[in-house]
Amino acid sequence: MLSSMAATGSVKAALQVAEVLEAIVSCCMGPEGRQVLCTKPTGEVLLSRNGGRLLEALHLQHPIARMIVDCVSSHLKKTGDGAKTFIIFLCHLLRGLHAVTDREKDPLMCENIQTHGRYWKNCCQWKFISQALVTFQTQILDGIMDQYLSRHFLSIFSSAKERTLCRSSLELLLEAYFCGRVGRNNHKFISQLMCDYFFKCMTCKTEIDVFELVDDYFVELNVGVTGLPVSDSRIIAGLVLQKDFSVYCPADGDIRMVIVTETIQPLFSTSGSEFILNSEAQFQTSQFWIMEKTKAIMKHLRSQNVKLLLSSVKQPDLVIYYAGVNGISVVECLSSSEVSLIQRIIGLSPFVPPQAFSQCEISNTALVKFCKPLILRSKRYVHLGLIGTCTFIPHCVVLCGPVQGLIEQHEDALHGAFKMLRQLFKDLDLNYMTQTSDQNGTSSLFIYKNSGESYQAPDTGKGSIQRPYQDTVVENKDELEKTQTYLKVHSNLVISDVELETYIPYSTPTDTFQTDETLKCLSLERNRLTDDYEPLLKNNSTAYSTRGNNRIDISYENLQVTNITGKGSMLPVSYKLQNMGASQSYLSSSMPAGCVLPVGGNFEILLHYYLLNYAKKCHQSEETMVSMIIANALLGIPRVLYKSKTGKYSFPHIYIRAVHALQTNQPLVSSQTGLESVTGKYQLLTSVLQCLTKILTIDLVITVKRHPQKVHNQDSEDEL
Amino acid sequence: MSRLEAKKPSLCKSEALTSERVRTTLSVLKRIVTSCYGPSGRLKQLHNGFGGYVCTTSQSSALLSHLLVTHPILKILTTSVQNHVSGFRDCGLFTAILCCNLIENVQRLGLAPTTVIRLNKHLLSLCISYLKSETCGCRIPVDFSSTQILLCLVRSILTSKPACMLTRKETEHVSALILRAFLLTIPENAEGHIILGKSLIVPLKDQRVIDSTVLPGILIEMSEVQLMRLLPIKKSTALKVALFCTTLSGDISDTGEGTVVVSYGVSLENAVLDQLLNLGRQLVSDHVDLVLCQKVIHPSLKQFLNMHRVIAIDRIGVTLMEPLTKMTGTQPIGSLGSISPNSYGSVKDVCTAKFGSKHFFHLIPNEATICSLLLCNRNDTAWDELKLTCQTALHVLQLTLKESWALLGGGCTETHLAAYIRHKTHNDPKSILKDDECTQTELQLIAEAFCSALESVVGSLEHDGGEILTDMKYGHFWSVQADSPCVANWPDLLSHCGCGLYNSQEELSWCFLRSTRHPFVPQTCLPLEAVGSASNLTLDCLTAKLSGLQVAVETANLILDLSYVIEDKN
Repeated sequence: MLSSMAATGSVKAALQVAEVLEAIVSCCMGPEGRQVLCTKPTGEVLLSRNGGRLLEALHLQHPIARMIVDCVSSHLKKTGDGAKTFIIFLCHLLRGLHAVTDREKDPLMCENIQTHGRYWKNCCQWKFISQALVTFQTQILDGIMDQYLSRHFLSIFSSAKERTLCRSSLELLLEAYFCGRVGRNNHKFISQLMCDYFFKCMTCKTEIDVFELVDDYFVELNVGVTGLPVSDSRIIAGLVLQKDFSVYCPADGDIRMVIVTETIQPLFSTSGSEFILNSEAQFQTSQFWIMEKTKAIMKHLRSQNVKLLLSSVKQPDLVIYYAGVNGISVVECLSSSEVSLIQRIIGLSPFVPPQAFSQCEISNTALVKFCKPLILRSKRYVHLGLIGTCTFIPHCVVLCGPVQGLIEQHEDALHGAFKMLRQLFKDLDLNYMTQTSDQNGTSSLFIYKNSGESYQAPDTGKGSIQRPYQDTVVENKDELEKTQTYLKVHSNLVISDVELETYIPYSTPTDTFQTDETLKCLSLERNRLTDDYEPLLKNNSTAYSTRGNNRIDISYENLQVTNITGKGSMLPVSYKLQNMGASQSYLSSSMPAGCVLPVGGNFEILLHYYLLNYAKKCHQSEETMVSMIIANALLGIPRVLYKSKTGKYSFPHIYIRAVHALQTNQPLVSSQTGLESVTGKYQLLTSVLQCLTKILTIDLVITVKRHPQKVHNQDSEDEL
Repeated sequence: MSRLEAKKPSLCKSEALTSERVRTTLSVLKRIVTSCYGPSGRLKQLHNGFGGYVCTTSQSSALLSHLLVTHPILKILTTSVQNHVSGFRDCGLFTAILCCNLIENVQRLGLAPTTVIRLNKHLLSLCISYLKSETCGCRIPVDFSSTQILLCLVRSILTSKPACMLTRKETEHVSALILRAFLLTIPENAEGHIILGKSLIVPLKDQRVIDSTVLPGILIEMSEVQLMRLLPIKKSTALKVALFCTTLSGDISDTGEGTVVVSYGVSLENAVLDQLLNLGRQLVSDHVDLVLCQKVIHPSLKQFLNMHRVIAIDRIGVTLMEPLTKMTGTQPIGSLGSISPNSYGSVKDVCTAKFGSKHFFHLIPNEATICSLLLCNRNDTAWDELKLTCQTALHVLQLTLKESWALLGGGCTETHLAAYIRHKTHNDPKSILKDDECTQTELQLIAEAFCSALESVVGSLEHDGGEILTDMKYGHFWSVQADSPCVANWPDLLSHCGCGLYNSQEELSWCFLRSTRHPFVPQTCLPLEAVGSASNLTLDCLTAKLSGLQVAVETANLILDLSYVIEDKN
């Protein structure tokens, strides 16, 4: 019963799937995103802008789609943010890979495999790429983060040592977060609510365990009320249990409470035992004994000033009655998570009714500030004023909304925000290699030579390369020229002339510095360099001609060409710096907790910029290619964010300004206020790369009719 | 092993709101709700086509709970209206109509959803702050020292539900009953925190409405035979009551998870019965006069109690437990053993009563915050509608107790508010826009859409082809009959405005509500003497209307913000 389906060209298939998903998620991405309405099979409706929820609601059948969704949800479980960005980034990566490999005529990779069938060649190629991806993710990415990006990071803490958090920076962070998660008319309100909640719950010292607690028990810490406007949502001090009192006795002063996890009334027999009744009198006496015992326990509780009994099970009528008689309020049927939340807040262990009755003091009681019924829109809840023993000061969020679906959305978003903060408050370890791996002898020779010479030398080298490969260079140049003309055409429309002038000189380099000696010296090196440039230039120009993009996109594509060439001429300087301390060694450092960047694609643009710089420097074609693809795919995210913006705030403008600022070492100016967590972005990047590696390593999808057996089950059978 | 079935993929549709299907279903819903609105609203008959229950109604709560809405967008709309109604009980149709109107009006404009939502929100907060402000010209203070305004409030609710089928006289009677029932739930010596009692509605169908009445205390329905068997009590002092929440039927209670082995010849039933009779003896020796049990009382125990001249009533049901506890001041007893003397309560007296064909056992309290409203109507459907209406009115009175203001009804608040918004956006757009990215033109467009949505809500009060006018001084609502000669002298054709506060003999100028007119400042700050003189006002609940307004705008914003619909087909 095994039928197989060959998934040839898994990248192509994955790209198709990802593009469909991209179309769905991009509509609710960013501050301008809109809501999506999901219906459940039960007929309920859910409003969502949460990428993870949407993807799950789709119930996708395509195997690759399901794999992607799995990857997204495992990422979300960890970080609580970034599902939409995940899909968009993945889609752009696949697009880049697809475009490169479709056209790739790289002799290095394919020549020796050409004898095999095309299918297997593809597979090998994917394997190379996926290996390169893994290398990139494990060895290179962290280095770039640490060495280049880190200088741009801001800290959310007003003082890094004590980790104190000021309200305004938290507001900026949360507002940016909720912008993408809840409806436009509510995001300000919800982020204020979250801010209030945060500062009310925290003691002066912000500890990571508070986030863990809130994240783990968020369901118990919020109450949803339908039929009220969202603006009625508020924060209540204390804990609200979503049940009513079984018995309520108003009490004040010194209120103590106990938690029980079993019935207080003793029963005839416990499980595994047998109770033999020999006479009616025996039955009556045992019933009497039970009654008296229950009465005595409740009286004893009363004498210890216990006025509240929380029970995780249903208590018999008898217990309820004697509780009422003794003025003890009772709340029954607490869920296990409610019990463990209360235990964590006040550090109280359950009370076990003593077997042999004694007058000793009950140790495990806790003091409660108040305990009273709370009525929210004609439904009754139990409101407890717990006195926390840990750093968490118990507060509850009451979320109001006209429909349940909206409340769920807000609840989801708040929960996600706590997940995000939990990640943000952790240090992130970075491990990487200081040197780009395996440089061959020739190239290092070249470096040493160059280091003795003037800075002009590499430029000469670069220019001279063009001679032996006249034909290709001419082609390149033509394209360059072409792109420049496009630039000029569009410059009037969208880009200011001044900025253009600064870039164009870089893109027409060369011929003046040619010297034949260096040419001979570097003949081996040339091959590499041209290889680096060629696919890139071709990539960009063809991308222009085949894709019917709009004007903004065109000018952006072209600009990229000029920028890269421009950077090319500055490249040797950093080369030298890199190799000064050059031996392969692993470094580990860490990113301090609380690193943030301004929103609006800053992280992506920065990483893009430094990755391109890096790509210039490395000599391995896979590495270069991978870095380039990732760098270009990163730009897809800000492009979606600025989709609806025009004029000065359109993406090409933002991009040019950012790159210009980076090149001239000026600080980046962001058009939007708001901050986002670097840790979150970093984790997103690694998750996407892992997902992509997973997709690439699969060469065949086999459909089986039976449910796949779990492996460990078979193992245990073998042992038997 | 559970059967695993692969989930079917969901259906994903984009741009849900612009599709023709959604528009038509939305307009169908709108027509249904608008035609129900107001005192002259048309009734809807809901039935399933296989016989059985038929519901005739014009109330949103009954209507929407019976309608089967399948389209997810409509579902959002109806559930948000239903959620509002279940909390406030009033202004459901208003919310639904306003929401539909807003969606329709805004869609026609074709502006970007971001702008629309932002501006709608600004306009809403403008409305809310005006309605809550001291200068508001369409709200009046509620005076609890006289019944006049409270009666107006109740009467307005009753008249707006034509499916109750009440005559004018019946309306007056029921309004007075509702107000009495409400006043009976307020504790007499209230200090600080007031806890309101409860009015229990007792059904009496197939009776004349005029026979409806209010009694303090609780009525327990019984068959005539049972009632005859109860012995009359002759006692001058209050009666001692024991209320049991546990069963007295002689069941053996939970014996635990292990096994219980009973030797041959041992009868547990007898043992338990002995216990019950012991309990009976204790009750008798404690001089209890009345034993009430939520569940079943064993016949032997019942007989024993009767023999000792103790009245025993069982099968009370869980719904009556709370009011009974409250009224008698008992502690529901859950024990068959020793009973603490504090658990007993008391009633002033008991008697039997007959209303229509039904017999009741009447518990009369010492100090009542619990009362029973015996509600009569001619048939089932009209009774159901009347019951809902009474619940609405009682709830509205409670809401008014919390916030002692009432809004002018009959459409006057809406037209007044629309005039205010128009004036405000026309004369002072800067204060609304502040630092936003919206232009003044956009604001004008949205404000017009918002105001005309409000005005078409009141437009749907008129179902008989009449014309609707508004005056240029107060911005109130005036309606004129369909067959009146056009452009005659308005003061003769019109008598009173919608709420009844102003009459047409004042020097006013009118124009049609639908016509374009220059924005004017409606008179703010309602003079108190004007309120005092008017006796027959139409009033609305402030709290419910405010929430309805907010929910309508929020829901409309929500729906306008949708870009995709994902339907789970499982």
